[in-house]
Amino acid sequence: MRLGMVIDLKRCVGCQACTVACKAENGTSPGIMYTKVLDQVSGTYPNVRKQFVPVLCNHCRNAPCERVCPTGATHKREDGIVLVDHDKCIGCRACYVACPYNNRIFLKRGKLKEGYYGKKMTPYERAKYPEHQDGIVEKCKFCSHRIDEGLTETSCVQTCPADARIFGNLDDPESKVSRLIRSRGGRQALCEDDTDPSVYYLD
Amino acid sequence: MGRSIPLVEKEFVAGFRQQTEWAGLIASAFFFGKVGSGLFIMSVFLQSRLGMLIGLLIVLCGKGGAHMLYLGRPLRFWRAMSRPGSSWVSRGIWAMSLMLAAGFIAISLPPGSPLFMPLAIFAVICAFVVAVYDGFLLTSSPAIPIWNTALMPVMCMFYALLGGTTMVLFLKHLGFIQLSGKFTALLPSVEITLLVVNLLIVLLFLVGSINTGSAGRESFDLLVKGPYAVPFFALVIGVGLVFTLLMSFVAGPRAGAGTVALITVADLIGHYFIFFLLLKVGVFKPVLGFLKI
Repeated sequence: MRLGMVIDLKRCVGCQACTVACKAENGTSPGIMYTKVLDQVSGTYPNVRKQFVPVLCNHCRNAPCERVCPTGATHKREDGIVLVDHDKCIGCRACYVACPYNNRIFLKRGKLKEGYYGKKMTPYERAKYPEHQDGIVEKCKFCSHRIDEGLTETSCVQTCPADARIFGNLDDPESKVSRLIRSRGGRQALCEDDTDPSVYYLD
Repeated sequence: MGRSIPLVEKEFVAGFRQQTEWAGLIASAFFFGKVGSGLFIMSVFLQSRLGMLIGLLIVLCGKGGAHMLYLGRPLRFWRAMSRPGSSWVSRGIWAMSLMLAAGFIAISLPPGSPLFMPLAIFAVICAFVVAVYDGFLLTSSPAIPIWNTALMPVMCMFYALLGGTTMVLFLKHLGFIQLSGKFTALLPSVEITLLVVNLLIVLLFLVGSINTGSAGRESFDLLVKGPYAVPFFALVIGVGLVFTLLMSFVAGPRAGAGTVALITVADLIGHYFIFFLLLKVGVFKPVLGFLKI
């Protein structure tokens, strides 16, 4: 099994609901986003085109971050999800500069001492921050904790109001993601870097 | 078309994105690693135990210290030795540890010991890896095209040799190192040759980086036209290579301690800033490339 995601760029409306859902699911501190939606604009007025590009960890089959990690903190599960072991990461950030998608985030020391309302943390932040460590690198986990509990969708997929994100098994030719990739010609970002990402974009 | 893609920082906009994590401390670690290992290699060749000791201390305190200050979790640094099979960071730490261990043991042996030369040669091999591994580390990152060139390890090696030669000349003029007559005559010529080679390598690197794709071109523009152009041309090319070359050529072996100190400082400034600026101009490619109308 290889879990992956298909992102339909024609459907994405740039509402950032996925960004917020991800933050709520993972309880990340201010400024830390495992996923977000970027604006991409081309042309000059009046001939302008704009599209929204959701970005996240691509959980590459041939992940450069896993290769360069000196401690083995970055590792891959059997279902293709690339994870960071918080207790092994030393915060060298070799993975940060190796990731072509620039989707790794370094939590500076002291980052978890403040929440959205300064030093006084909300009950939610007090409950969620112990799941993180400062001084290490974090990234999207494809909601591995939800998958382990038997759920079939990541938080961003479940929240997307436009059905622009679809999650599933890329190894199953009959899964929705595989059928979409086949029928709509899904393409991988920066495929020239030979990373074989598990996130496909549909134009 | 490439020029229409913006260079962005933390905005929610697709475009070229500058790397911000590897900068001052990593550049310092690279700098001390190359100067220390270069000095160690040259000192073994010139059979100067004091030079070897200073080289080892530069690597231990300078490079090791910069790495420890940089790490997010420095107390777990030992974990970085666990994956030498695939990670250049791991290989670098192994090389540095072995160089330090073999080097310090070799120095502590009494003069004439049969173990001295085998240990020193082993330490030199490790020092060579310490000098070049950061070049391989940068080259192995597919994300930042301007680093992704085979010239990077070559540049690291020649900068290490240049830094080592400059430091040996400096220590000799201060009276810390005694060299035989033939080495005293040879070293200034070696220094000038290395300066010319380094200048050529930097120019080749620049020419090569023009054709490393749109993100490489963006990095090139940042380096030679953008905010980093002044420090690059003034400190790296001007002070670090051209001024040092002219001073070495004019003053030559007759130079006094003051002139040699000036050449050493100029060389080290250029040495630090080339790697600092190359780290700063590292640019990621836009995730989905161009958007066509």
